[in-house]
Amino acid sequence: MLRKLTPYLFVLPLLGFMAVFTYIPILQSVNLSFREWDFMSPTKPWVGLDNYRLLLSTRDFWNSLKVTAVFALISVPLRLALALAVASFLIRETAVSRITRGAIFLPTVTSTVSIAVVFSWVFSTDYGAINGFLKMLGFDKVSWMQDPELALYVIIFVNTWKQLGYDVIIYTAGLQAISMEYYDAAAVDGGGRFHVFRRVTFPLVMPTTYFLLVISVIDAFQVFTIVDVMTRGGPAGATDMIVNMLYRVGFTLFDIGTGSALAVLLFIFLIALALVKARVIGRRVHYDS
Amino acid sequence: MNRKLTRIAGLGLAGLLGSTSLAAAEVTVEFWHSFGGSSGEALAEIITNFEEANPGITIEAEHVGNYNDIVARLQAAIPAGRGPDAVIMEVTRYGLFADRGVLMDLTDYLEADPLKDELFDFAREVGVYEGKNYIVPFNSSTPVTYVNKDIFERAGLPEDTPLTTYEEILAAAQQIQAELGDEGIYGIAAPGQFARWGLIMDNDSDLIDSVSGEILIDAPNTVEAYEWMASLVHDHGVASADNVTDENTGRDAFFAGNVGIMLNSTGNYRQSKASLGDDLIVRPLPCNKVCAAPIGGAGIGILSTADAEVQDAAYDFISFAASAESNAIWFAGTGYMPINRNTAEQPLAAETLENEPGIRVSIEQLDVARGRPRPPVVTWMRATEYDMWQAMALGQREVEDTLADFAERTRTEADRMGQ
Repeated sequence: MLRKLTPYLFVLPLLGFMAVFTYIPILQSVNLSFREWDFMSPTKPWVGLDNYRLLLSTRDFWNSLKVTAVFALISVPLRLALALAVASFLIRETAVSRITRGAIFLPTVTSTVSIAVVFSWVFSTDYGAINGFLKMLGFDKVSWMQDPELALYVIIFVNTWKQLGYDVIIYTAGLQAISMEYYDAAAVDGGGRFHVFRRVTFPLVMPTTYFLLVISVIDAFQVFTIVDVMTRGGPAGATDMIVNMLYRVGFTLFDIGTGSALAVLLFIFLIALALVKARVIGRRVHYDS
Repeated sequence: MNRKLTRIAGLGLAGLLGSTSLAAAEVTVEFWHSFGGSSGEALAEIITNFEEANPGITIEAEHVGNYNDIVARLQAAIPAGRGPDAVIMEVTRYGLFADRGVLMDLTDYLEADPLKDELFDFAREVGVYEGKNYIVPFNSSTPVTYVNKDIFERAGLPEDTPLTTYEEILAAAQQIQAELGDEGIYGIAAPGQFARWGLIMDNDSDLIDSVSGEILIDAPNTVEAYEWMASLVHDHGVASADNVTDENTGRDAFFAGNVGIMLNSTGNYRQSKASLGDDLIVRPLPCNKVCAAPIGGAGIGILSTADAEVQDAAYDFISFAASAESNAIWFAGTGYMPINRNTAEQPLAAETLENEPGIRVSIEQLDVARGRPRPPVVTWMRATEYDMWQAMALGQREVEDTLADFAERTRTEADRMGQ
């Protein structure tokens, strides 16, 4: 009996931890999403689906969904493509590549708030370094964070800069795991560099790509700090990501019911997206090289 | 031997009881506030003085960010049961917390406190919600007009250039921009939310009527005021767009000597003076259609959830912080207005008033200053106004349409909150 229970006892502490910090808060959020509450009132009246109806009827929700989707559609492929390219260049174990990998990884372990504050200065219209440089070259200043057409790209740039190091490290590990025999065979067959990349590297690094895809899409839908510090969702909602809206609705506008409804919708959306990815892309991933 | 042991045990017991009663006399008040820099230093001095005068009470002060941060953190802390015992709350934002019973009613405390008669009427009034006192004023302010004399001189503007109407301010800002724009100097800092409210009042309007509670966001004079303010950035380019997306940049640029005119709280006086020295001129807010100024600042409230003895200790501190002696330290150290009638008689305050005429402007402006409404919806309205302002000032939405939409949403929200 004890022998049967032993494995469960080992996982019990972790399960307890996850129950307290993950599953119970999720259930609480679901419960709150059907109630009206402002954090302070002693009662939380049941309002059924009203919070969801309100949310789906607001322009802000659809705008933030669109902004987040555009962010993910640009940011995720950009991150993966850049990371694969950089990792391919840095795959050899030389002193230079090790130092470069370390340098690229540094932003990943740097405080996001610090990065966002520094880039706020860099992209400042009147006193920023980039506009100072443009002015030196004789160009007009650009309203990087005040122009709704540009602000989202600034956020994408900063987020990519921060996350690239992590992707590069994971890709480097994936590339190093590919046996040299495949490259030798391809060389004997006379394959060019692009051909070898397309036929050997890309398919064999697919498990890594799939892992990074899942992680970076989830990341993209949860971006908050950079936006909160640099633009607070502005100008005119141009960078108003879903999590930013969630924070604003819940913690600034005191509507925790609608904020929870948004969190539940985001959760369902991410689960659905993961299932679609598993069905569409997951089948093409071969883990046995 | 036994007697000796009994005596030792008796002494030990007496010592234990003594230390227990001493521990019981020790009260710690957790106090959240929003003051850093020179304001933080002045507050620290007041707290030290209080603790010296009240050995049984410790004030555990924590700087938790600006007024918005305090509201957000308080909301998260209340359901978790981890709120402070006392908290600084901005004068238009505490109504929601009073309404929901988070803040305790301090009327009885204040009625029994001689401080009640020492407070100026305007200061006493900002703490009253629905006829009861929920906060005791600590830092009171009005927006004033700060001028960089050096920039005015270099732009060919006399020191006494009139800055009473919108047109006069715009003309001065345009001249500065034309003369010094190439040096990276702006005519004016885009007004922050407190100054925007003041400029709306100067145009004979308001955001919410403080008596009737009517929402005036789309009233013609409010629309006109916003059109003028937005035009500073969008049409005339005399204010930086950076100030719109980050309001602190306008203030910081003024401190750095890169802006000619700034409309901002008198709470910025000390830092402005330290930055510009004798080049700083302080003038009253403009009087475009009428002379008016909003009273801002904050007061200290006590949470209903605090233990009774902690509430008593917290009130002792609040009362001490608003006393003439403490208020003189605060006034001289920050530039916030005196809230106590006896503050001016304190040597420190008297010396400051005599030597620094700029600090008197906000006090002289009190004749036209008035309190702002503080129903629960004001907190929502102020949080939303930032986005609306951005859209208008950056030319992304028409002012009239934006304000019509904003007014409608505010009315809906007020209904939802049961106002």
